[in-house]
Amino acid sequence: MIANLRRLIGWEGFLFVVLILVMIVNTGRAPAYLSLSNQINLFQLSIEKIIVALVMTFVIVNGEIDLSVASVMGLAACLIAVLFESGVPMPLAILAALIAGVCCGAFNGLWVAYVGLPSLAVTLAGMIGYRGVARILIEDRSIGGFPSWFTALGQQPLLGPFPLSLILFATLFVLALVILQFSGVGRLIYVIGNNAAVARYSGIDTPRLKLGVFVASGLIAAMAGVLLAARLGAVRGNTAEGFELDIITMVLLGGVSIFGGVGNLVGVGLAILVVLNLRNGMSLLNVTGNVQTGVIGMLLILSVLLPNLTQMARERLQRRTAQRKEVQIETETPVSS
Amino acid sequence: MTTWRQRIHPEQLREVSLVVLIAAALLIFGWQIENFLSARTFNRIAASVAIVGMVAIGQTLVVLTRNIDLSVGSIVGFTAYFVGSQLAANNAMGAPAAVALAAAVGGAMGLVNGLIVAYGRVPAIITTLGTLAIYRMLLINYANARTVTVDSLPAWVVELSRQTLFSIGDFAVRPLMVATLAAVVVFQFVLGYTIFGRRLYAIGSNPDAARFAGLPAQRMVLTAFTLCGMLAGLAGFLFLARFGTITAVAGQGIELESVAAVVVGGVNTFGGSGTVLGALLGAFLIDLLGQGLLRWLGISEFWRGALLGLLILLAVASDAVILGWLRRLWRGGAEVDHDR
Amino acid sequence: MHGAPVLEMRDISRRFGNTQALDRVSLRLYPGEIHALLGENGAGKSTLIKIMTGVHQPDSGQILLDGRPVHIGSTLEAQRLGIAAIYQEPLMYPDLNVAENIFITHANRGLWVDWRRMYRDAENILSQLDVRLDVRQPARGLSVAAQQTVEIARALSLQVRMLIMDEPTAALSAHEVDQLFAIVQRLRDQGVSILFISHRLEEVFRIADRITILRDGQLISSAPRAEVTPERAIRDMAGRAIEQLFPRRDTVRERVLVQVRNLGRSGVFSGISFDVREGEVLGFAGLVGARRTDVGLALFGIAPADSGTITIDGRTVQITKPAQAMRHGIAYVSEDRRSLGLSLPMSIAANITLPTLHRYLTPIGLLRRRAEASAAEEYRRRLSIRAPSVEVEVSRLSGGNQQKVMLSKWLNTKPRLLILDEPTRGIDVGAKAEVHQMIDDLAAEGIAIILISSDLPEVLAMSDRVLVMREGRQAGVFSRREATQERILAAAMGQPETLASQVTEPSAQR
Repeated sequence: MIANLRRLIGWEGFLFVVLILVMIVNTGRAPAYLSLSNQINLFQLSIEKIIVALVMTFVIVNGEIDLSVASVMGLAACLIAVLFESGVPMPLAILAALIAGVCCGAFNGLWVAYVGLPSLAVTLAGMIGYRGVARILIEDRSIGGFPSWFTALGQQPLLGPFPLSLILFATLFVLALVILQFSGVGRLIYVIGNNAAVARYSGIDTPRLKLGVFVASGLIAAMAGVLLAARLGAVRGNTAEGFELDIITMVLLGGVSIFGGVGNLVGVGLAILVVLNLRNGMSLLNVTGNVQTGVIGMLLILSVLLPNLTQMARERLQRRTAQRKEVQIETETPVSS
Repeated sequence: MTTWRQRIHPEQLREVSLVVLIAAALLIFGWQIENFLSARTFNRIAASVAIVGMVAIGQTLVVLTRNIDLSVGSIVGFTAYFVGSQLAANNAMGAPAAVALAAAVGGAMGLVNGLIVAYGRVPAIITTLGTLAIYRMLLINYANARTVTVDSLPAWVVELSRQTLFSIGDFAVRPLMVATLAAVVVFQFVLGYTIFGRRLYAIGSNPDAARFAGLPAQRMVLTAFTLCGMLAGLAGFLFLARFGTITAVAGQGIELESVAAVVVGGVNTFGGSGTVLGALLGAFLIDLLGQGLLRWLGISEFWRGALLGLLILLAVASDAVILGWLRRLWRGGAEVDHDR
Repeated sequence: MHGAPVLEMRDISRRFGNTQALDRVSLRLYPGEIHALLGENGAGKSTLIKIMTGVHQPDSGQILLDGRPVHIGSTLEAQRLGIAAIYQEPLMYPDLNVAENIFITHANRGLWVDWRRMYRDAENILSQLDVRLDVRQPARGLSVAAQQTVEIARALSLQVRMLIMDEPTAALSAHEVDQLFAIVQRLRDQGVSILFISHRLEEVFRIADRITILRDGQLISSAPRAEVTPERAIRDMAGRAIEQLFPRRDTVRERVLVQVRNLGRSGVFSGISFDVREGEVLGFAGLVGARRTDVGLALFGIAPADSGTITIDGRTVQITKPAQAMRHGIAYVSEDRRSLGLSLPMSIAANITLPTLHRYLTPIGLLRRRAEASAAEEYRRRLSIRAPSVEVEVSRLSGGNQQKVMLSKWLNTKPRLLILDEPTRGIDVGAKAEVHQMIDDLAAEGIAIILISSDLPEVLAMSDRVLVMREGRQAGVFSRREATQERILAAAMGQPETLASQVTEPSAQR
């Protein structure tokens, strides 16, 4: 456990150092970088993604993955737009979008938790399918003209200089942290992610929990979709396309293992800051959107590759110095027979 | 009775049932829709299946080893654009050179994927999600907002998709389709009759046993990804031949279509079973259903995505549920399933 | 035996962290012999064979092949030297057919697959073992015994000179064990050396030519079978004479807690009927494959029965989920503690409170870690769990202590019926005695216990009554007085008593 703790602090410490570096470089380019308004702005540009990253942490720690989040965001956005266009009052439209998110999440969850299909395949199908439904609704139009109170939702300062969306994120972050790290449900999520069979044999209703996690994912993704529609002011069929890349990167960069059972929200929080500041820094350098995305892609790969390479190097080093009397806790454990 | 049971196992039923489904679809659509069974429909399906099918062959190789390649769409787009722009700049480049270039570029991109997955031990889903973005970035940067236009290409490229090699009655057999069929034959042979192919199944069927037995799993996964990239590159060439005009969004979405084809075609997402023939049949069935349902129900083109998602889900679900049930039947007794 | 040894391990030592797994162990394997390796868990047997097969390297010592020193750096090198190993879990490729499973890993087979030749070669090898299998069928459908045969065929195809088998009979029925032994003897007659690890004394004495015994990483004895007796073997393994029977108290109460009538699950087991009283230990005996675990899983709701009735306290109940079983006071301690019983990266405390987590939450659902820790401390004290604290990861504990954590976990649910599935498998003798004492104490408190065990002496020592199962059916119920090894074995094998007594008195044979 001490070794694990060391490893964990090591990863978060590493992220912290990277964050400082990025911020230093950015401040070098633009002195106003560290100002409150710029930092708030930085968050707002990606607020929808980071909200979903919080719930994606739950999904991945639980040993699953949800590739359909971006499509659910898009579906929610398109649904609002189309409903609004046909005269439905906005609050009702928002409610409908959230319900749609819950349905998508439940649909994913039922197949994964109760039928036992792999979440990769199911949410891949969902990624295509939900986007497809969004396209059926909106076709190739672009819908906008939302009421001003709606579009100001994300922007309007609510508490001091902080807008609703930021406060929402902060609240959700604290909530997620408490649930995942300090509650019974959180512990169960970790256990299931580590070994679902043990959870089942301990009397835990594993399918229900998994379903719950997927429903939460769908709901939060829909919420994020609503916020996205509000911020952009206009919705198309490809709204939120490709967002899953950033979202998954933030979670994995935060030290969450793709195999489940490992990771925490503090790391994800730091990773979010790193990614946001990185993107912002690149924008300052006039780096285009697709290059930014490419860089995030590299970051995603490196976040798993680098720890792997160092682990492999360490193993090779330990194998070579096997003569020395080292206490090998991490590599070899005596197997009784 | 026993030998029959042992000769034909549940997995092989998949290809048979695909053929049955295709036949049924053709019958129903032919009956319900006017002029469905026409040369034009056939050509349209054949052309798009040729491209997706070529990619699906590579995807099959990768999925057999329990991996996935989501970057193939970007590879198709990049090679289509790259080869296209080379041809536009140098009209004298012949077919063999162009094809070789496409294969080489695609292969290089696949190689990078393979290195990261096999030697860097980064899960395939993450690697290819990343390279999907990185390769698209390379394409957009290389293109720099220019398009490859049909006019700039040598005539033979443009003609390639329209030439008729030979006809069976009204139905024209064209180079694109022939290329993919040839690739299917080649890889069906590779998977069925070469040590490499059979070992690919072994690695997917039981990766731990394969590693323990000393099979060069890493090298084989690397090869699978490289071949996948190479085939995607070839598909990029076919893409160029078919569309002529290439923009920076070329190929987007093909990765999902290829995974759909592979999954519907019976290639198990857990590796170890399935064939390229199945993948091709899967691609064909999907396109056929897409075209048919669109015309029959009079629904808009925008329904394709939703239908595709539904099909994948049905295929994966039926795989898990029906095959599991069939296997239990074959063994003649229930087995205690400790995990669900 | 016959001249020079084919493999000699000289003064092999190997250390893992704090444990000296092997301490100057020497072993000689001669061609054409069946050599048994005995020892308790942790004696070093599996480490020794892992060194032989190239998985680990020795810290010191020499390995000599045909008198020449060799270095076995990997499993591939071992294979090339003619050393092959078969473990309890057969390594099969389920989607490939039998012939491919035999030949797929061969190094030099060129590029192409000659199917006809492969099928022919496969059939040849199988006929050498006098086994008939359809070489075209996928490995997925094969029984464990058949899969083992395929593995042996695979080793044979690689011109194995030394075949190592680790607990090969664990998952086999009696008939399949006979078949396996016939194959092994045929191999021996062909000059192959066979080294096999087994905990089953009857089998060892039935088939071994020589017996080597390890204890705590050291070589204790190595002698021809004729010079060894079961009593001496046990003494060598444990280092002390084993008390034969655990002194159980009379704890059986009047009240019948659980009544099971005609319980069945189609295709798995049927017609199971028994009563368990409060304070009674009902032993479930049977050979592997008897489906005793399945009955336990049915009572616990993991794999519910589809026929028959379960009555608790006189009320008929339906058990379709573990949570239901737990509500009725039933607890099931799994035989597989590493993958089904414990969450390895979690702490002792977290594991113990897992099924009863609701007791350690605040009204809004937050964890009450201190309450958790103190509950865990209770059990650490009560069961003598050896660990620095209850926050230690259970993966760091020894098998015996892990077993105790698992027991604590289920005792914490305050069960009325406790189903123990192989509770002392793979743990050292000391911990085993502690578990037995615990069982006796629990029975004294009035808890009904079903003890599923493949360890016949344990079943005889601990049970008030013994229920014997055979291939999913009930084969007999014996009171403590009636139960003898012969009777239980006879029932478990479905054989008349005379044959059974032959099996249990191997020293009378040969």
